[in-house]
Amino acid sequence: MRRLCLLLSLCFTLPGFTARANAGGIAFVIDSAGAAVSVIDMATQKEVRRIPTLREPHHLILSPDGRSLLVGDTTGNQIMFLDPNTGEVKQRVPVTDPYQLAFSPNGKFLTVNGLARNQVDVYDAATMKLVKRFPVVATPSHLAYSPDSSIVFVSLQDSDKLAAFDLRTMTPKWTVPVGKTPAGVLWLNGKVLVADMGTDYIAVVDPETGKVLEHVETGKGAHNLFLSPDRKILWVNNRAGGTTVSMDAATLKPIRTYAIPGGPDDMDFAPNGKIWITRRWAEKVAVLDPATGTFETIEVGRSPHGLFLNPKGPAPAVVSSR
Amino acid sequence: MGDPFDLAAGWLQENLLIPALYQFGLMNWEDVSYNWALFALYGAAQVAVTFAVCLPLEHWRPVERWPDSKAVGVDVLYTVLSRVGILPLVTYVLFYRAQVSVSGWMTDQGWVPPTLEGLFPALLGQQVLTFVLYAVILDFSDFLRHFLSHQFRWWWALHSLHHAQRQMTFWSDDRNHVLDDLIAFVWFGVIALLIGVPPLQFPLLVLMLRFLESLSHANVRLSFGWLGDRLLISPRFHRAHHGVLGAGDRSCNYGSVLPWWDMLFRTADFSRDYVPTGDPSGEEALATGTWTQQQMAGLRRFARAFGRSHVRYGA
Repeated sequence: MRRLCLLLSLCFTLPGFTARANAGGIAFVIDSAGAAVSVIDMATQKEVRRIPTLREPHHLILSPDGRSLLVGDTTGNQIMFLDPNTGEVKQRVPVTDPYQLAFSPNGKFLTVNGLARNQVDVYDAATMKLVKRFPVVATPSHLAYSPDSSIVFVSLQDSDKLAAFDLRTMTPKWTVPVGKTPAGVLWLNGKVLVADMGTDYIAVVDPETGKVLEHVETGKGAHNLFLSPDRKILWVNNRAGGTTVSMDAATLKPIRTYAIPGGPDDMDFAPNGKIWITRRWAEKVAVLDPATGTFETIEVGRSPHGLFLNPKGPAPAVVSSR
Repeated sequence: MGDPFDLAAGWLQENLLIPALYQFGLMNWEDVSYNWALFALYGAAQVAVTFAVCLPLEHWRPVERWPDSKAVGVDVLYTVLSRVGILPLVTYVLFYRAQVSVSGWMTDQGWVPPTLEGLFPALLGQQVLTFVLYAVILDFSDFLRHFLSHQFRWWWALHSLHHAQRQMTFWSDDRNHVLDDLIAFVWFGVIALLIGVPPLQFPLLVLMLRFLESLSHANVRLSFGWLGDRLLISPRFHRAHHGVLGAGDRSCNYGSVLPWWDMLFRTADFSRDYVPTGDPSGEEALATGTWTQQQMAGLRRFARAFGRSHVRYGA
């Protein structure tokens, strides 16, 4: 018995054991209709609590220094700054209609799409002062930057257009038709890819001229695009088809199609190779194993939308906030 | 297991609405369609619950029995349009973005639209308590709107359509002129800007409130007792508001769910007992016409209201 106690006490003091006990990781899933952010223990894949927002959050982004997770609350007209390790609310900053938001690669700018107000706002990331407001023809939805942070590309969902804004001169560069209902935008290999939710393809666009170079079929209602951490695989969520497609990022040739019903939307990549996908109309997050094609589900709020994984974060404490 | 309404709306969205939107090139409406599906399902549940409770009540202890109930049929249409059909969609499309735009403009000017949660941060996360507070404030604002709709000749001309029904039943709650509905939506939108009404976060509680509003119109001899009638509006209390002698600016009992505002402003009348309903001063079409005839008659009365300042309205 004494030996057993000694063995157990030794186990509890070993660094590896301690690390395993705490290294669950923390995930954040926005519930747009439920005005909350679900906090999920990545190890157990269970929702452990909800952080109330004000009105209608949609998307979230990690700050360049990794210290804050910014949650845009559109009708609440504010950005909520969370601690990405704990979910603690650190700050609330008034910002008009923050729908989709992203920091430029150089960390200098924060671009905020005001979807309902038809405006693209560029903020100084350090001070959160509005630098420039670009009025647009319709509903700016998704955005992506050129790697040198000189251009931001914004899809205008209720039109057929993609807009480009020069961040060096703070002037519009071009606005061109690219498809029926442009949604997700991604810079890849010197081109801009735009998912077209009104069709079954993504458009490959020349970033200089805005000219559509080719269409690549993905599935009905191509909605959002993601690049795997090793930059080898392009993932596309097809909203109407209820599928997720993996493609060779170099050739844009499809590799495999996975059935993810319930409106696949946002995506993030876990270190164990699994892919987390919000299912917008199913109250669930899918955790897809790309090797087997099967997925597990995590129950969350009414309208799971933006998603962020912090695998290095500690497992979240179970605290009921409502 | 998730919320059955959400899951049902998700099923509708995935299997019916999205394929249709995709087919017709309308995928930019996908968010709206999901919200409409939720509105419509909760609306259908409201109708079903109201029907299941009120119909037996009306058969059990009716205030009036009619040889035929043809006039009630139009009220059923009003209910379906209002709670399940086109009105929720129009409301969402017209007012959601307008509200975002105006509140965003206010934020730009440095004036963040206030919210109860902003004023009292302890409310954040206390969803039921927050809802109850919002419900009380909104009920008061609706009392004011309703009271004013009886005071202005042009507004009464529109609102009189609601009062024209002589065969008042639980279906009559949504019987309104579309312009009167429009004013109510704008009124609600302004209040939402002032206090930041949350969106569809509390659908079941909203369902309960709408049920109480429908019940208050029911053709049933039902009172909640001396105390109960002073806590919640009963069919007996609200029927006095619809009485033939209460049409126009001489009415009483303007509240929707809570009688407190009538008691506070001395417009409460607990003495009138199951009076006949209707508005004798209006065109017959307002009472017994088809939906279109009623709407047109309301418009005519609205137009006349601007030209006959010497005629006392509601008489």
